[in-house]
Amino acid sequence: MKVALLFGAVFLTGAQDAQQAVRFIACPVYRDTDNGRKSGCWLASDPATGIRYDVTAAPTKPDWNHAILVEGRVVKDAGDPCGGTVIEPARVSVLEAPCTRHLIKAEGYKGRKFALPARNVRPLYDKRKLPERPFAEGRFTIPFDFSSSFITYQIADYYLDATINYALDVQPARIEIAGVAQTVPDTVSGQRIVESPALARTRAEVVRQALIMRGIAPDRVTIVDRLPGPFVTAAFDGLEWQARRVDVRILPEAGRPK
Amino acid sequence: MIRTLTLAGASLAFAAAVAFAQGGEDRKDRWWDPGEGRVFPASLDYRNANGTLRLLLDSGPMETKGHPFFTAIGPNGRACVTCHQPADAMSLSAESAQRQWERRGAKDPLFAPGDGSNCPSLPQGERASHSLLLDHGLIRIARPWPIKGVKADFTIEVIRDPSTCNFDAKHGIAGAGMISVFRRPRPVANFKYIEAMGFAYDPKSGMPLPVDPDTGKPVSGNLMADGRVLSLEAQMRDAAGAHLGFLKNLSKRDIARILDFERRIYAAQQIDVKGGALDADGSMGGTKTLQISAAGRLGSDGGIPVWSEFEAWEKTPEALKAKLSPEVRAFRDSVARGARVFRDKTFLITDSTGINSPIGFGNPVRNSCVFCHNMSYMGMDVAPGQVDLGTTNQPFADPAPHLPLFRIACTGKPHPHYGRTILTSDPGYALTTGKCADVGRITLQSLRGMSARAPYFSNGSAKDLRGVIDYYERRYNIGYTEQEKQDLVNLMRAL
Repeated sequence: MKVALLFGAVFLTGAQDAQQAVRFIACPVYRDTDNGRKSGCWLASDPATGIRYDVTAAPTKPDWNHAILVEGRVVKDAGDPCGGTVIEPARVSVLEAPCTRHLIKAEGYKGRKFALPARNVRPLYDKRKLPERPFAEGRFTIPFDFSSSFITYQIADYYLDATINYALDVQPARIEIAGVAQTVPDTVSGQRIVESPALARTRAEVVRQALIMRGIAPDRVTIVDRLPGPFVTAAFDGLEWQARRVDVRILPEAGRPK
Repeated sequence: MIRTLTLAGASLAFAAAVAFAQGGEDRKDRWWDPGEGRVFPASLDYRNANGTLRLLLDSGPMETKGHPFFTAIGPNGRACVTCHQPADAMSLSAESAQRQWERRGAKDPLFAPGDGSNCPSLPQGERASHSLLLDHGLIRIARPWPIKGVKADFTIEVIRDPSTCNFDAKHGIAGAGMISVFRRPRPVANFKYIEAMGFAYDPKSGMPLPVDPDTGKPVSGNLMADGRVLSLEAQMRDAAGAHLGFLKNLSKRDIARILDFERRIYAAQQIDVKGGALDADGSMGGTKTLQISAAGRLGSDGGIPVWSEFEAWEKTPEALKAKLSPEVRAFRDSVARGARVFRDKTFLITDSTGINSPIGFGNPVRNSCVFCHNMSYMGMDVAPGQVDLGTTNQPFADPAPHLPLFRIACTGKPHPHYGRTILTSDPGYALTTGKCADVGRITLQSLRGMSARAPYFSNGSAKDLRGVIDYYERRYNIGYTEQEKQDLVNLMRAL
């Protein structure tokens, strides 16, 4: 038995209607819809088609001073709250290339009222449900933005927290970590994008360090080159760009008291 | 027999002192000198320009004679209480520093050369040598450069230094390998909140909460302005050496006694000169609420909204309102509105590390004051709160010709918002982490007892509460109305 899909039950609005995949690099535009906290819209135009997309659904929001890599799927019948074709699920990676910052007014668009995302880490004072015995092998995957080893808020931290909580709950256990990077070059919007093989290791080290900081003994955690598949795909919401991640296998040591 | 009588006498004196001090304003001078041997009562009030501050000590009064928080343990005559004065909400106001100078001049231990003057090499008898403390409430903090055990991804160059200390042959960067920055003493009160851990992670670092190297346990990360030490115990050791001149290690017993006091003391404004008791007619302002409430709770997403302590004043029945003076009514209405403005008035937050990067919130992001000041009852950040508001970094910082100015050159990746070169009067958290991206990030403070401890911000750049609001208005182009500004000032003076 595995608990690979423990944290896969996150439902995305419109995900069932997801259609055409889009992937491009562009400078973002911020539309200030001023509809309460975190209500602003993020727009970006695909340079190949000129179509302006609404990428606000991405867990990582753009930085108006930098280009972004947009990856996602166009949603059918998602309305037009921001002035762009809605992409959801969407992923945004902030790139180093500079952009001229640009803010536009609401111009009648309402944006979206903020709602707490389903993928949020719960506070320590919330009671947490412990896994049932016998403990199963745990499989977890933590996603990363392009060219980044940062644990992003309300996406990567959610999966990291699930991983760490399970690791803490089923001790004694062995933990294996494998980092993955997008080392096969790709061309997006005329630009070659590729990640360094070393980034896979860096990502794995970040997760290892996080486990140790939360109280897992260092000698219980091993970084390996790769783990046998399949890995947990929940973090990617069906998007095909899944090579930026860390896979974790937690092997409870059966028969030993906790 | 004699010993018994002596003990009995001491007990009577203690009891008398407690009876005298409990529940009222301490009749002794508002300045606590080291080694005075006063009793710290369970409840202690001090007046300030806006009303009355109340300190509450959990578990009753405490004899301070011989107590290491109140006793000079080093050669400079200072105790912890010197810079953490009860009347100043356990911080130190510039006004109190000026008063001490007028009373005693340079011989008061507050003005010890090591950090109570602009630089130890200056003539200590002259007021000008203590101008940063007297005019801005700033204590000199000397940080090692290069940073011990860290390879920094930036270089630092002193452009100017009116304090003289960074160029000083003995105390400067070249001589002592130390960078002098100047900061306000942080309040030693309400530690239940400051130490509370609401979440297991620091979203600003993308990692779990920092781990105290002494205990191996996670800590809140909200203690020091630059996070240079992580626990109260380590802060004590740091302060005993740096500020008290104590060269030995504090004993375990002394540490335990200081910890005991620090974790028992609460401070907040209790009475307003215009609005009266801040806990009147259903309001939960004042210190008692701090003492009895759960700490580390997020005020949003279903929690107890930040500053909802004053919500009852929004719903005061007309019959009751009619009995209040127009001045009291107006003040209460203003405070309640201020709490709403604090929570609900959103604005675009831009180019602030710790908010706009690297978390993923976006740059800009629309939110209100409670985005960061999100802890119920306290207004700190439930997650560790190192944020660059721009108070020390140009171009956002207000002109500060009295402070040193450093040029930071990022040698690795450029800073996410400033580029490769940053001009700053205090690199803040970067002096701990060695990261260029952390230049100017400062840990958020508690917002309690503010009426007692001007000036504000880590570098004292806001001389009064209106100055705080005006800074935010300039920095983020918020568009507060004059009424909203006044309401926010009234809210803050009531905390």
